[in-house]
Amino acid sequence: MSTQEATPNALPKLKTDEMVINMGPQHPATHGVLRMVLTLDGEWVRHAEAVLGHLHRAQEWQGQNRTWFQYQALIDRVDYLSGMFTSWALCRTAEVLEEQTIPERAEWLRVMVSEMNRISSHLLWLGTYLIDLGAMFGFPFYPFREREKLLDLFEEVAGQRMMFNYIRIGGVQRDPKATWFQRLRKFTEEFNDRVDEYEAIVTENPIFLRRTKGVGILPLSLAKEFGVTGPSLRGSGSNLDLRKTKPYSVYPKLDFNVQWLDKPEGGDTWDRYILRIREMRESNRIIQQCLDMIPEGPVITKKQIAGLRVKAGEGFSAVESPRGILGCYVTSNGSDKPVRFRWRNPSFCNLSVCGKLLENHPIADIMAIFGSIDVILPDVDR
Amino acid sequence: MNGPEIFKLTRLTGVWLCLVFLPVWGASWAVGILIPNILSELGKESSSQSLFMFISDLCKLLTPILSILVFIPINAMFMVLFERRALAIFTVRMGPNRTGFDGLAQTAADAVKLLFKEDITPTGADALLFTLAPIIFFAPSIFGALPLLAAITGNHELFQIVNLPTGVFYILAAASLPVVALVMAGWSSNNKYSLVGGLRAAAQAVSYEIPLVLALVTVCLMAGSLDVVKIAEQQAGGILNWNILGGGALTGLDKAIPALISGNSAEWSATLAKYYPHGFLSALATVALTISSFILCGLYLTSACAEINRIPFDLPEAESELVSGYNTEYSGIKFAIFFLAEFTNLFIVSSIATVMFFGGGGNPIPQWILAMLPMEQISAMMNSLLDIPINKLQLLDPKTFWNAFWVIVKVYSIVFFAVLVRGTLPRFRIDQLMDFGWKRLVPLALITFMVVVFARVAVVCHAG
Repeated sequence: MSTQEATPNALPKLKTDEMVINMGPQHPATHGVLRMVLTLDGEWVRHAEAVLGHLHRAQEWQGQNRTWFQYQALIDRVDYLSGMFTSWALCRTAEVLEEQTIPERAEWLRVMVSEMNRISSHLLWLGTYLIDLGAMFGFPFYPFREREKLLDLFEEVAGQRMMFNYIRIGGVQRDPKATWFQRLRKFTEEFNDRVDEYEAIVTENPIFLRRTKGVGILPLSLAKEFGVTGPSLRGSGSNLDLRKTKPYSVYPKLDFNVQWLDKPEGGDTWDRYILRIREMRESNRIIQQCLDMIPEGPVITKKQIAGLRVKAGEGFSAVESPRGILGCYVTSNGSDKPVRFRWRNPSFCNLSVCGKLLENHPIADIMAIFGSIDVILPDVDR
Repeated sequence: MNGPEIFKLTRLTGVWLCLVFLPVWGASWAVGILIPNILSELGKESSSQSLFMFISDLCKLLTPILSILVFIPINAMFMVLFERRALAIFTVRMGPNRTGFDGLAQTAADAVKLLFKEDITPTGADALLFTLAPIIFFAPSIFGALPLLAAITGNHELFQIVNLPTGVFYILAAASLPVVALVMAGWSSNNKYSLVGGLRAAAQAVSYEIPLVLALVTVCLMAGSLDVVKIAEQQAGGILNWNILGGGALTGLDKAIPALISGNSAEWSATLAKYYPHGFLSALATVALTISSFILCGLYLTSACAEINRIPFDLPEAESELVSGYNTEYSGIKFAIFFLAEFTNLFIVSSIATVMFFGGGGNPIPQWILAMLPMEQISAMMNSLLDIPINKLQLLDPKTFWNAFWVIVKVYSIVFFAVLVRGTLPRFRIDQLMDFGWKRLVPLALITFMVVVFARVAVVCHAG
C-alpha cells in the first residue's frame, strides 16, 4: 500500500458544468407561451432570460389599420383576464381627444365592472399560483367557483364572458337590469366569507409559507428601475396606485384604501400574495359602495355607429389594471382610423424584472416567483 | 357537502370493488381448489396418478402469482378512477362521468387508448435502458407484494407458500428497487427535465427510506418478529391490540376489561398484574408506547408518501417545474406501465400500513363486545344457509372472507386519505424536502425507537 497523502489539491477535481435549459414555450407552467433560457448549476438558476414574441399579434399595428369601432372589439384580447381595463384605457384616450364627458351613470358602471374584473383576475391568479406551487388538484378550483359567478354576471351585462367589449367610447354598451344589481349585491355580501375560506387554507399553510416567505425578494430600487407597477410594486414599499395618486372617473368619491406594504428592503412572494388577497376585499368594498351610490340616467352619449370618428390630436391616458399601470397613447388625424397606437402594458415591464429575481434560486422557485409577478403573456407580446 | 356526487362515488366504489375482487377470488378458487380437486378425482382412476398430482400441486403453487397478476391491473384502473372522482368532489368539479355508465368505464377506455398509442423512443435515448426502466419499476411491486398476500388472507393454505419468516425485510428490499428504474428512466430519456427528475427521485428515495425503515423496524421490535403473518395475527381481537395503539401494550387492558364488566375485581387486578408487572412504571411505559406507536404510524405514512412520489412529495415529476419529470419522454404502453406501477405502489404501501399498524385482516371491534352478540348462532346460520358454496365447493372460506373484507376496508381508507392529502397540500421544494427528511423525520424516528426499546421492558407486549 502506498502512503500517498490525499491532500485536497491532489484529488482530481470533479468536473462540473452549467446546464442550459430551454424552459418553454411548451412548458406546462409558463402561463401560455413564455420561453425562458435558464443556465442551471445543478438545481440552482444562475442566469435566466425571458424570450418574448411567441404570441405577438401586432395589436398596435392592427389598431392603426382598423376603425375605432372595430378596434374597440379587438382590444379585450390584449389582456384577456382584465379586458375591461384595456377597453377602458382605449375609451378614455378617445374621450380625452374628443374632450367629452360621459354620463354619470356610465362612469359608475365602468368602475363597478372593472372592479369586478379585478376580482375575477386576482381569483384566477390565486388558483393558478397555487398550481404553480404544486397544489395541483385541491385548492385551485375553489377561486374558480367564485370567478364563475362573476363571469355569469359579465355574460348577462356584456353578452360575453371574457371578451366583453362592454366599455365603449362615450359610455358603456348597455344598462344592466335591476336583477343584475341584486345578484351582484348578493355576491359582494358573501365574497368576504369566501376569501376567509381561501385564507384559512392557504395563508398560514406551513408548506405554502416555506415556499413563499423570503423567496424572490424585489427591492424597491430594482422595481423602480424596471418600471414594475401594480401589486408587485406595492408589495415592495410604494403606494403608487393611479386610483389614488392620479384619480380618475368616480374614484375620488369612493372610500377605499390603497393596499401596500411599507417594505422598501423588498417584498417577497408571500407579500405579493397577501396584497392581492387584500385588494380583492378592497375591490369588493368599492363595488358595494357603487351599488349604493349609483345614480340613474343614460349610460352612453349617443348610439355608436360603424363610422365612428375621433378628433385629431395626441392623447394619453392610463388606468390601474390588476397587473399595474396600463397606458394607452393615440395619435389621431380626425378620420375613422387612428394614425398611431402605443400601449404601455404592465405585464411587459413586470416580466422584465423576472430575470433578475430568478438568479440564485432553485428551479422550484422559478414558478413561485414568476407566478407571483402575475404576468399575462398576450399582454406582454400584444 | 355534495350529496349526489358522494353517492355516485360510493356507487362507483362498490361496482369497481366487485369488478376487482370477484375475478381475483374466482381465479384463485378455480386454479387453487377446483382444478386440483378435479385432477385428483380423475387421478384416482388413472394409471399415471403421479402426473395428475404434479399438475394439481403446480396449480396450487401458481395461485398466489395468478391472483396478483389478475388483481394489479384491474385494481390500478379502479384506483385511478376512484382518485379522479374523489378529487373532483374535493375540488368542486365533476370528474369523468361520461364514458360507460356514469364514467365507470373511463379508465378502461384510457387503458385501451394507451395500449394503441405509438410507442416512441426519442432520438439519442439509450433504447435498452429506456425500455427496461418501466419493467424494473413495475416488477418489484409484484414480487414485493407476495408476502403480504399471506398476511391479508389470514394465512390461507393456498397462500402460505409465499410467506417468509423475514417478510418485512424482503418487502423493504423490494421497495427500494424502483428508484433504480427512475434514475434509469431519467438518464436514458436524453432529456434534461427527465434527468433532473431522476436525480431528484434518487435523492428523495435515499433520504426517506431511512425513516420508513426505522418506523417498520420499531414495529418489528415491538412484535418480536419479521414475519408479516405473525405480526398480523398478533393484532387480532380488536382495535386495542393494533400496533397503531401501543403495539400490544394495551392488550392487557383488552384482556382485563371483560372482568371489569362482569364485576370480577379479583380477576381484573390479576390480569392487570400479569400484563403490567411494574405498577406505575408499566402505566408510564404503556402511555409512552401508545404515543410512540402513533407517531410511528405517522412517520411511516409520511415517508411512504415520499417513497411513492405522491403530493406533497412528488418532486421527481413536479408538473409545474419539470414538465413530467422522469416520465416526460414516455408514451403509450411504457407510460401506462409507469402509471400502473405508481398506483400499485400506493396500494402496496397502504397494505403494508394495514398489516403493520392496523391489525391486518382483524376486525376493529374488541372481543368482549363481540362476546355480547350471538356470533356463534349467526355464523352457524350462515354456514347452513351457504352450505353449498362453503363446504361443497369450498368457494367461500368464512375466515378468509372476513379477513379480505377488513383488509379492503382498511386499505382503501388509507388510499382515500392519500387522495385527500393530494387534494389539499402544495408541493415541497427540494432543499426543504431534504431538511424535512433529515432534520425532522430521522431524529424523530430514532427517538421513538429508543423510547420503544426502553418502554417495552415494563409491559408484556404481543411477543411476551
